[in-house]
Amino acid sequence: MSDHPKPLPEISDETRPFWDGTRNQQLVMQQCARCRHIRYPISRVCPECLEVGHEWVPLSGRGEVYSAIVFHQVYDKAFADDVPYNVSLVQLDEGPRMFSNVVGVPPSQVRVGDRVRVVFDPVTEEVTLPRFTPEDS
Amino acid sequence: MHSLKDRTAIIGVGATPQGKLPGSTQLSLAVDAFKAALDDSGLEKDDIDGLLTFPGTTAPEGPLNYLRVGEALGIDPAFTGSMAMGGGTAGALVQMAAMAVESGHATAVACVFGDAAKTGGSRFNRASGWGDSWGIWGMMGAAANSAVAASRHMALYGTTSEQLAEVAVACRRHASMNPNAVMRDPITIADHQASRFIVEPLHLLDCCLISDGGVCIIVTSAERAKDAKQPRVLISGMGQAYTTRTLEREDWWYVPHQKEALDRAYAMAGLGPQHIDVAQLYDNFTISVLLWLEHAGFCKPGESGPFVEGGRIQLGGELPVNTAGGNLSESYMEGWLHIVEGVRQLRGQGGERQVQGAETCLVTGRGMTLNCSNAMVLTKGEA
Ligand SMILES: [Zn+2]
Repeated sequence: MSDHPKPLPEISDETRPFWDGTRNQQLVMQQCARCRHIRYPISRVCPECLEVGHEWVPLSGRGEVYSAIVFHQVYDKAFADDVPYNVSLVQLDEGPRMFSNVVGVPPSQVRVGDRVRVVFDPVTEEVTLPRFTPEDS
Repeated sequence: MHSLKDRTAIIGVGATPQGKLPGSTQLSLAVDAFKAALDDSGLEKDDIDGLLTFPGTTAPEGPLNYLRVGEALGIDPAFTGSMAMGGGTAGALVQMAAMAVESGHATAVACVFGDAAKTGGSRFNRASGWGDSWGIWGMMGAAANSAVAASRHMALYGTTSEQLAEVAVACRRHASMNPNAVMRDPITIADHQASRFIVEPLHLLDCCLISDGGVCIIVTSAERAKDAKQPRVLISGMGQAYTTRTLEREDWWYVPHQKEALDRAYAMAGLGPQHIDVAQLYDNFTISVLLWLEHAGFCKPGESGPFVEGGRIQLGGELPVNTAGGNLSESYMEGWLHIVEGVRQLRGQGGERQVQGAETCLVTGRGMTLNCSNAMVLTKGEA
């Protein structure tokens, strides 16, 4: 492993519920109190109706691969031991999309349309990253 | 909207040498480009009363770049500012210049760009996303978003890597006819396929260069551009469109705003794709050219892969694209040279790569994480 640290999320009052959720093996996102839109990325207001009020709701953690790419180039030396690695844009069943990694399968074998489910990867004591794996695995 | 059709013109263009230029700085390149464009235009320095700049990736003063460039050039402008929209900046600044001229805020506006990205340590490799950066998942670098677009386009429409290669091959062939291009050795589809992956599905030869260089474009009124040193090139149509949203837009990857920008430009010009003789389409990566071709109406959505086969976008083909080599092979001037090449084609100054009889040129620009787009229809003014 490289001793150069990988980027970590900036945990603030606004984002803490998301990262508390992943540490507790749950994917949670903000649902607007007014129009019920589930938003991501994490934001102060609903981008649909500008309402501040929201509830952190648990998601199923299931979805499908919307786009899949494989990094061969090392842009940050912290990832030097990881290439080639997959990054996927995941379409979650409840509506939001997020970038993450599909793991547990060779990176080039991840296909658009593959069904996936969330898995939780504790990378530090404070941070557990949500990643995805094929749904049937 | 108040139409600017044929109200303004590009009277001067200039560029520095391109490539690896040790000892150059953002400022030295911007200044040299300005001098070249001023000389090209036949105007005097005191004629320039508008100054718009793009700091690129290596100006330490960032958005205060207009002050630094203005001081270096000894210009106290009536209208000025700096803007940073990556590859969307050139077109946005030229359009802003046209608006300033039309509204009387300035009479001749120099749009200036310099970047020592090759030797000066560029910042193209950062991660995208606000707040929690996408870099958490290793999603970083300039190629990533275009790779996302390519992956999705391939899955939906069956577009192939060999079809992407057609774009790289066309640009390189055109660059081979451009003495100022950085990469001039012709390549084949096989060369493209054999080049290493950067971010799959994109190979090295799907990617633009990183370059040092400067470019300047001078805009004035169509009236003033009459009987000037150079043949007149009119800005007949212009349009812009943006999506600031990324993950919240399902079709973000397809850059749908590009079509809005193009439709605005076509509507102002009163022209459509069937009237375009030559196109300079922003090519940070090969996939971008495919998306532009679809949005610009040269083919239907999803059909750009087959469209680019068989040399259709090469010189001599139905629609010559990026006739100077583009960002992929001429130099990565973030689209500034696309406008310059459009002007040269309409002046008939394309040399070996001239599209015979070219009277209309479509020029497009796009910047940041698939967010900013613009388009211009340039036409040859009567003598
Ligand atoms: Zn709402």
